[in-house]
Amino acid sequence: MRIALLVLITLLAALPAWAQGGSPIRVGFASAISGPSAITGEGVIWGGTMIVEEFNARGGIMGRKIEAYFADNKATPGEAVSAVRRLVDVDKVDVIIGQTHSGACLGAMPIVKELQVPMVIESCSNPKIRELSGKGGNEWTFRVNIDDEIMANTFAKSMARSAKSASMIAQNDDFGRGAAAAYDVAFKRAGVKLASTEFFDRGQADYRPLMTRIKRTAPDAVLLVMLASDASVFMRQFRELGLTQKIYARGSVATVEFLNQVKDNPSIGDGIIEASFWTASLDPDWERKWLERWKTPVRVHGSMAALTFKYAVAPALELAIKKTGRADRTAIRDALEQIDVKDSPVGPIKFDENHQAWINMILIEMRGGQLKVIEKLPTSPAILR
Amino acid sequence: MEDLLEQTIHGLTLGSMYAMVATGLALMFGVVRLVNFAHGEFFMLGAYTFWFAFQELDLPYPVAGLVAAAAMAAFGGVYQRTIIRAILERSWHVQLIATLATSIVLTNLAVIVFGTQAKEVPTRLSATVFQAGGLRIAWQRLLVLGASVVIFAALHWFVKRTKIGKAMRAMSQNREACAVVGVDVQRVALVTFALGGLLAGGAAALVTPLFNIFPDMGALLTLKAFAAVIVGGFGYVHGAIAASFIIGVSESLAAGYISYAYKDAIAFVIMIAVLLWRPQGLFGRRIGI
Repeated sequence: MRIALLVLITLLAALPAWAQGGSPIRVGFASAISGPSAITGEGVIWGGTMIVEEFNARGGIMGRKIEAYFADNKATPGEAVSAVRRLVDVDKVDVIIGQTHSGACLGAMPIVKELQVPMVIESCSNPKIRELSGKGGNEWTFRVNIDDEIMANTFAKSMARSAKSASMIAQNDDFGRGAAAAYDVAFKRAGVKLASTEFFDRGQADYRPLMTRIKRTAPDAVLLVMLASDASVFMRQFRELGLTQKIYARGSVATVEFLNQVKDNPSIGDGIIEASFWTASLDPDWERKWLERWKTPVRVHGSMAALTFKYAVAPALELAIKKTGRADRTAIRDALEQIDVKDSPVGPIKFDENHQAWINMILIEMRGGQLKVIEKLPTSPAILR
Repeated sequence: MEDLLEQTIHGLTLGSMYAMVATGLALMFGVVRLVNFAHGEFFMLGAYTFWFAFQELDLPYPVAGLVAAAAMAAFGGVYQRTIIRAILERSWHVQLIATLATSIVLTNLAVIVFGTQAKEVPTRLSATVFQAGGLRIAWQRLLVLGASVVIFAALHWFVKRTKIGKAMRAMSQNREACAVVGVDVQRVALVTFALGGLLAGGAAALVTPLFNIFPDMGALLTLKAFAAVIVGGFGYVHGAIAASFIIGVSESLAAGYISYAYKDAIAFVIMIAVLLWRPQGLFGRRIGI
């Protein structure tokens, strides 16, 4: 009788763990899988797949397996809404990581609030996202990466050391326009004269008319707000025209993706300095695993998605299960507000009242086909004051 | 002044690209009365074929260019024999959906086969610069301009002087009458699509050393070429060529002196203006009822 009672108590004690082990946690990744920005989504699929496999190989989180689902936002606000609906209504995910592109992030924010699903942003840098999140009204949105207002204030000071005037060339979307507005203010504060601001639609074939305009305004420096695939064409034509301005960048210019595009002549990118928050050298082990798995250089956005899962979502899932025994959407959101990760490759991850994490900002210099972190700068809300 | 000259040369380079694509589109419409919305994808496939031949097979530039043009001519022929032949007698709705669907399928196939990362095919000519005073132009741009003159002269000769060219012109005037007098309309249509493919492949080989190759590259190009065909007068090859250069140069001057962000709108502003002023296009003839 006593033995039977002991067996019954043991079984009852093991029940929650058994029940947890039986229901996997569903994580959705949203990014641009098709369209001109599809390179980002491909990276997110690769990064998301790798990190989820890594966790599952270790037994999942608190004994629960992770299932990854991917949805295509085509880098547009409208498609981002469809991507969220698909992840929530069809795939029944518990948490979303994405949407990579600022326009898509801004488009997805109202729908994640309506559907009450936590969304952790990995690399959208429009400053509006911070204003609208947490105490800004949307308690379901969190952001790991720092935004362009945070970066612009630091980067403009650094640029002011070698340039008295600058022209800005930015993507004609929420990312580019958000950055342009932030740098407009930051340049004034830093004493850099903004000679001109030009916008372009992605995938342009010919930037030379734009460069002829730069030639006329003759600034000391040019700030590019663009991604690698556009930047490689831009820089080839910049060198073709014989322009000599110092190039600063935001987006994914000083990256292995860019170097892969210009491998016939890597010196095209010599001297470019980019403000960023991630580069491969911050996590050599991840870079090695990526190369082994995908046989292609590590991608920025895929790595940020994986890093967001590993250092923000996974700790929140663990905390939610420990505290409430559940990993439902509300428990995950509450846990995200409480996580305090001090040792991620990009710096500490702890969300403030606007659900913004204040990770490090880095300056990367490209020279001779090599990328070098020349400065690592901690960030804090004080930067904006 | 150097500024203006530089912008004009950029515009003529762009115009050459639009013209080679628009010419194919105009020929196809003229001969079989069908708008091929997948025509930009002919250019995209030509670009990938050129990349494969030049970078992966390491063929010399002229050979790789000829391979791309020949492959796209063959593709144009196969496209006509399969998809176009099946929809030629159907309503314009079916034709629209079928060619649009082909465009989507080809774009997504390119994503699967070649990946999403843009590819670049720099050549010796695209990396070296012709300099005269303050003017700096990559030799590849000059090659594009020179080659387009030769290509359009050859096309003019082909359409005016050869038997099949004359049949194409005849079919553009009255397809039924051609069939009645024994013209092999299917064969003429086949040659037209092969010629459209040849021009798109040739254009791709000429201009891709200056630009990026990516799966979606054909979408905007189709629309610009379409605008050129409308501005030139639907089905008028010479009109399409002239309109392409007008659009290319206007776009370049607008980008250089007005706004780069809105340069893509220029083609469509010109198209709307021409439609309001001359609905039959700049070089088309008014049809009375």
